Order: sequence, then structure tokens, then C-alpha cells
Amino acid sequence: MITKLLSKEMKLTASPLSYIFIAFAVMTMIPGYPILCGAFFVCLGLFYTYQQARECDDITYTVLLPVQKRDIAAAKFLFAVIIELISFAVCAVLTAVRMTVLSEAAVYIRNPLMNANIAYLGFLLLVFAMFNIFFLGGFFRTAYKIGRPFIAFCAASFIVICIGETIHHVPGLEYMNRTAGTYAAQLMILILGAVVFAAGTILSYRISAGRLEKIDF
Amino acid sequence: MNKILEVQGIGKSYPLFQLKNISFDVEYGEVMGLVGRNGAGKTTVLKSILDLAHPDAGIVKIMGREFTGHENQVRQQIGYAAGGMSYYKRKKVRDIIAVTRTFYDNWDDDECAHYMQAFDIDGSKKIMELSEGMKVKFYLTMALSHHAELLILDEPTSGLDPVSRDELTAIFRKLAAKGTAILFSTHITSDLEKCADSITYIKAGELESSGKRDDFVRGYAAEMGTVPTLDDIMVYIERKGAEL
Repeated sequence: MITKLLSKEMKLTASPLSYIFIAFAVMTMIPGYPILCGAFFVCLGLFYTYQQARECDDITYTVLLPVQKRDIAAAKFLFAVIIELISFAVCAVLTAVRMTVLSEAAVYIRNPLMNANIAYLGFLLLVFAMFNIFFLGGFFRTAYKIGRPFIAFCAASFIVICIGETIHHVPGLEYMNRTAGTYAAQLMILILGAVVFAAGTILSYRISAGRLEKIDF
Repeated sequence: MNKILEVQGIGKSYPLFQLKNISFDVEYGEVMGLVGRNGAGKTTVLKSILDLAHPDAGIVKIMGREFTGHENQVRQQIGYAAGGMSYYKRKKVRDIIAVTRTFYDNWDDDECAHYMQAFDIDGSKKIMELSEGMKVKFYLTMALSHHAELLILDEPTSGLDPVSRDELTAIFRKLAAKGTAILFSTHITSDLEKCADSITYIKAGELESSGKRDDFVRGYAAEMGTVPTLDDIMVYIERKGAEL
């Protein structure tokens, strides 16, 4: 049933912008730019789906279908996760390009902001985790209001992006911006991002599924 | 057992409104009008039946089953439409049908095509291009295409012109003749006169009366000492006990 609901999310509910904004993953290649903002824009594309869904009363249509409410929440989380992971995959490929083929490119050598490296991928997952926790989790309090959850996500992602983009300026943490050599510390950030993304999304889904059962539409 | 819907003592409290102890039954092939003024609680009753709102008290059974634990089976048998409802207004009719059909075990493409033709619905049109009457017909088409045995309609005729209202009420009668039960809320009494077998009247969140339409009229005729229309009865009920 989740597969059918996911198909419904993609065909009826999703805003085209949710798909188009995956292209912001290409921001990974912009030199001298806070490239973590690309993850924010991908989430903004997902936000447009929720804006459109509210306009077309998607949730009422969906809860009237012969499905369980927890599956509705699961499909909505799954749709977001799929968009996020596609974006992440694009970012990962482009990061690999920057770290190998373009590692000596002049435009990337002097970069006061974050380089595309393994730590960057970890911070991307943290931004996506903030969306799933603060926006999706907040949305399912009412299944209607999207303003406050989006502001909460903006605030949380702003903090993550600021930390990611500047952490290598902290004395002793310069290695966070490396694109060559050893990556053990950066790998820790990637693992941290993956754990927070997975655990935060699952926890947020479970809470959301419970909330959806109790909402009066 | 010929009851398709049993509503037993449902109640719900909101900060500024209370629905109290509402009970009634609907039988297969019966058209019941749920009547009351705006804000009387009709939509809350319908939402409670559909499990869209959670009553604080009472039980709702559809085909002898409560929702809890049987959501899928129960919803397979229900169709819902509301006046002014507009799902996915920028999507085409056929796209919505293509998705909706995948959820229903008993979806019948021939039946869908039949009602699309009978109601003159163009599948290539977007929902926003349909008139209000056509939208209700479209939602009815979807409900009938999965052989819903109970239609729950929230003010389906509100905002429709008299001709469209007449068409819809005629459709209700035809469906009832096939055994489909219809519960529809309205405050337009002429619709009740045309198609309702029974009337459940709600006043300020409380059940005023529930029974066959003719008994309802006879009862109030005796009380009012006249031969009242449904309009007269509605005015009488609402003014009863009110301080002027």
C-alpha cells in the first residue's frame, strides 16, 4: 500500500519544483559559494509540494482512501527521502569530481568557504535531517500548517550551514576543508550525518504517524 | 441485518461547540437527509462517521464494523463528496481516476466509463474547469466506480443552480433504487422533499429528531396545528425555545 501511496505522492501531490530543485545539487560545483545552501534549496523544492498539497486539499483526499494513516505518513516521508537521496547522490558524484579531476583547478584552491569533500557530504545529510525532523515532523502536528515548521527548519539548517561553512577556520580544524590527504575526521562527519539523518527521519516518522492518527480533519 | 450505518451516541466537545449524543441508523437503499442550520454540527457528524474527526463518546458502525482495525475494509465501501470540495484542481480528471483506481479492490473500469458518459464528464478536463455540479458528479463517479454502498455527502447541492440540484436528487433516487445508501447533509429543504426517505435533524449539536420523512412531517404538523412545509418545520424547530 505504501508503494501505491508513494505513486500518488509523485503523480498527484508533488510540485514539479520538488523535482526541478534537485538541480540545485549542482551548486556543489560553484566556486567561492556556500555550497551547502544547495541542500537548503532542495528542501525548499520539497516545501513547495506541501504548499501545493495544502492548496489542493491533498490530505483530505488521502485520508479518505482505504489506507492506514501511518502508511500515509510513511509515503510522505519516503517521497522526501527519495528526493534528498537523489540530490545527495548527485552531490556525491560532483564532490568526487572536485576532489579528483578538478582537485588542482585554480578556482577551487583558494576557497574561504567549505570545499566539496567528505565532510561536505556529511553536512548535506545533516541539512536534510533538519528538514525531516523540523519540517515534516512539525507538519504532522496539524497536517495543515506549514509556516512554523518551515521557519524551524530554516533556523536549524542555517545553524548547520554556518557551522559547515566555517568550521575549518577554527584553529586545529583546518583539516575539515581538505580535498586531499587523510579524511578520517571528515569521515566521522559523514557517519554522524548519516546516523542523524537515518535516526532523525525514522523517529520523526514514528512521531508523525502517531500524530496523524489523532488529528481531527 | 439491513442497517448499513449505525451511529450510536456520538459526542464531541470543541472549545465553542458541543455535539451531544447523536444516534441514528441508515438502511441499505435509504436516502437520509441530515438537516440543521449552518453550524448545527452536521459536518462534525459526517466527519465522525468517516473517522476524520474523533468523537469523545459513542460508536459508529458501517456494515457492522467499527473503523478501528478495519479502516481499509470500511473505506472500500464508502464514497464521500462535499459541495465546494476541489481536490487537485490543476490535475486532469483522468489522472486523478488513474491514481484513485489503484486503491480499490472492487474498482470497475466499465462502471467508471458508464458514469463518466452518463454524467457527461470529460476526462481530459482539469478539475478547476468543471462546474460545481460537475465536480460533485465526478466525486460520485469515483465513489460508484468502486461500488461504494454508502455515500456520505456533505452539502452536495449547496451552490448549485436549481436544475443541477434537481439532476442530483434524481441521481440519488436512482442509486437508492439499486441499494446504495445515501446520507447527505443539507439545509435546502426542497432537496429533502425530492429525494429523502428519512430525516435526521440536528439543532445546536443535539439530535432533535430522526425518522422517516413522512413521520417527521406528521409529527410536527400535529405539534404546530397546521400542514407545514419542511421550511416551516425548520423555522419552527429553530425558533422553538428561542428568546425573541
